[in-house]
Amino acid sequence: MISIKGLSFIYNDTKEPALNNINIDINEGEFVGIAGPTGAGKSTLTLCLNGVIPHFLHGDFYGEVKVDGKDTVDNGCAKIAYSVGSVFQDPEAQIVSTRVEDEIAFGLENLNIPRIEIAERIKESLEMTGISELRDYSTSQLSGGQKQRVAIASAIALRPKILVLDEPTSELDPKGSLDIFDTLQRLNREYNITIVVVEQKIQLLSEYCSRLVIMEKGNILLDGETRSVLADQETLQRIGVSAPPVTRLAYMLKKEGLYQGGFPINVEEAYLMVSKVLSEKSR
Amino acid sequence: MIRINNLSYRYKNGNNVLKNLNISIKSGEFAAIIGQNGAGKTTLLKNLNGLLKPTNGHVLICGLDTSKTKTSVLARKIGFLFQNPDHQIFCSTVFDEIAFGLKNTGISPNEIESMVYNAAKKVGLESYLKHDPFSLSKGQRQRVALASVLAMETDILVLDEPTTGQDYSEGLEIMEIVKELNKHGKTIVMVTHDMELVAQYAKRVIVLMKGTVIEDGTTEEVLSKEKSLAQSNLKPPQAYLLAKKFQKQGFFKNTYTVEDMFEEIISYLGGEQNACND
Amino acid sequence: MPAMIEYIQKDSFFHGLHPITKILWTFGVLIMSFLFSTPLPIFVILLSNILIAVAAGIIKQVFPAIKALFLFSLLLIAFQIFFVTEGKTLFYAIPFTNIGKVTDIGLSLSLVMSFRMVATVSTIPILMMTTPMTDMVVVLVEKLKIPFKFAFMFITALRFIPTLLGEVEQIMQAQMSRGYNSDTKNPFKKIIIIIPLAIPLLVSSIKKTEKMAISMEARGFASGPRSYYRKIMMKKADYAALFVLIAAIFLTAIV
Repeated sequence: MISIKGLSFIYNDTKEPALNNINIDINEGEFVGIAGPTGAGKSTLTLCLNGVIPHFLHGDFYGEVKVDGKDTVDNGCAKIAYSVGSVFQDPEAQIVSTRVEDEIAFGLENLNIPRIEIAERIKESLEMTGISELRDYSTSQLSGGQKQRVAIASAIALRPKILVLDEPTSELDPKGSLDIFDTLQRLNREYNITIVVVEQKIQLLSEYCSRLVIMEKGNILLDGETRSVLADQETLQRIGVSAPPVTRLAYMLKKEGLYQGGFPINVEEAYLMVSKVLSEKSR
Repeated sequence: MIRINNLSYRYKNGNNVLKNLNISIKSGEFAAIIGQNGAGKTTLLKNLNGLLKPTNGHVLICGLDTSKTKTSVLARKIGFLFQNPDHQIFCSTVFDEIAFGLKNTGISPNEIESMVYNAAKKVGLESYLKHDPFSLSKGQRQRVALASVLAMETDILVLDEPTTGQDYSEGLEIMEIVKELNKHGKTIVMVTHDMELVAQYAKRVIVLMKGTVIEDGTTEEVLSKEKSLAQSNLKPPQAYLLAKKFQKQGFFKNTYTVEDMFEEIISYLGGEQNACND
Repeated sequence: MPAMIEYIQKDSFFHGLHPITKILWTFGVLIMSFLFSTPLPIFVILLSNILIAVAAGIIKQVFPAIKALFLFSLLLIAFQIFFVTEGKTLFYAIPFTNIGKVTDIGLSLSLVMSFRMVATVSTIPILMMTTPMTDMVVVLVEKLKIPFKFAFMFITALRFIPTLLGEVEQIMQAQMSRGYNSDTKNPFKKIIIIIPLAIPLLVSSIKKTEKMAISMEARGFASGPRSYYRKIMMKKADYAALFVLIAAIFLTAIV
């Protein structure tokens, strides 16, 4: 579904590459999380997936990015929008319309989709994101979490196979963040939409994503199954990425040689781990 | 230090009411105010430095009544660090930015210079004083904003969501600076919805729901009130939940961070381990 | 002031009218205000605007605008009224002197001018508050043949005014919390005092603009011909309202 080969990118007027020889393949239906410290190139990567780079933001672009079979250099943003829906961090800077319905229609109108179909798709997107009740609301009445869900609904109105999100829960409270990720999970499980989400909240990523990619300074450092990536606490701590507290505990215990099992990512698993460790006393 | 008596606040359009709050924060405390969005946390904060004046009741900051004192005067007693440093930064050098608040106070330029330098040192930016703040990274800009608050040498420091929007290490840097300041006697009030942060740094927790205080006590006490937290859509931190599972067995009675739990495990196992078990 | 342009959702007769009808109404008010040359009829037109606002349920939001316009018009009256010296002298502004002569013609002309201004300008917030932006865009593009990009630019600029005003408030509060003091009577100082507010606002606006542009680009904006979801039809109510409007203008012209 997504195939990136040898991607490097240097923004105009900068010397340091924002992305350095990125190679990654993502299959249909995956739910991938991307994390890393500031300046890692995470946002830049998402902009390469939806075509904003190289068509709107310019610089030196090397390598190849293919989404849903389309090369992002040969296809403009509009064509790519049929395959990749995007959601960004700041809900205020994404919402264009004063009514929810119009917001969802916006992308469809841009692509000259006939009126009748627009009506159908609005209904469909609202249902898929679980916000049908917000249909007649004015966008200024919505909470941050609701605004972001409207942004997601607008993005999937084009029926893209891929949804790319750049720190969608950054400005949201815990409940809002959970709502977003539950929505994403639903889109992934029920509609097989491939999800690529950049986040700082590692705990959230570890609960929802099956695959985790860790970036630093334009490179991909780690890429694999969530648990095994979290297990590399040494790298994560070195570059300044947080981990669920229980995973940190496991790392500390492992370093002391007190525990050899797998890394827990939630409380239940941590309980088993700590029980085991404490029971060693009786040996 | 901060005394809130029967504070009620109502916005002009009737929203976001604070209902009869009574809170007292002593000098040197590290308090966290938590609650879901809309509970009134920001409204409460703004009542602390006179940005909002109480509709009823009063707020005393170091003895000064906020409804009778100008915000610019209160700024010498209570300093605020907001979420977005870009709402404040406008000068062409870091030095000027940090000195901004001091310029209105009539302090001599020589003294200002040393105060700015000290503040910059506390946040680790003393070698950046001639830099353009707009050329710095977001984390560095947040530290500039922090330095400009510290330069005012207020007794109280209020933090509004210090880690939201930051990456992990940037947030950690800020919190460690704040922890150091608290050690040296600064009173800290922090608004956040990051429970891990609360467990790690705060000694006192106040839970707001729909404009009233539903819990107010030490971190240990409040973290155990799962029902109140659940009502506010807050989950206790992982360490607490994990520790709770072992309480019947007598472990982890006062631990709220995994670091503490680790220490307890080590001492329990008696220090006999330093090699690998196979 | 802030939400003077923001759409307020209500289910009134006026809200339901086609944007073109409402735009024609603003022109109609303009024409009629200038056809009359005595204060009383223009005042009646002004009252009719207020009544429309009440009927649309937006009087609370429109009122500050009307109040501001009235205050401004008092200024205009003050300037004009002393320059007209024809007609019967009614009184002097400063009693027992010959200074500030107010004549009946002077009073009449000043009132006409000020009522005209309030009546014609007050139609705009009423129009904006009862018409969603998107509908305005559709009308501008389809009926008035303005290229979409321009219509969109205009409407989006308006849509962001409340957002930016919110930012100004946040910036103001952040700076005040640092001891920033904005009371000064010195006009020169007042200019300098704006800088700590203006620069963060500028930076923030530019950043928001860039983010918006990226978001819109990713949604295929301006990539080719465009369809429109909203279909706004002229209804019987519109034709009736237009009929009343045209009749009123006609009568005015005759009278």
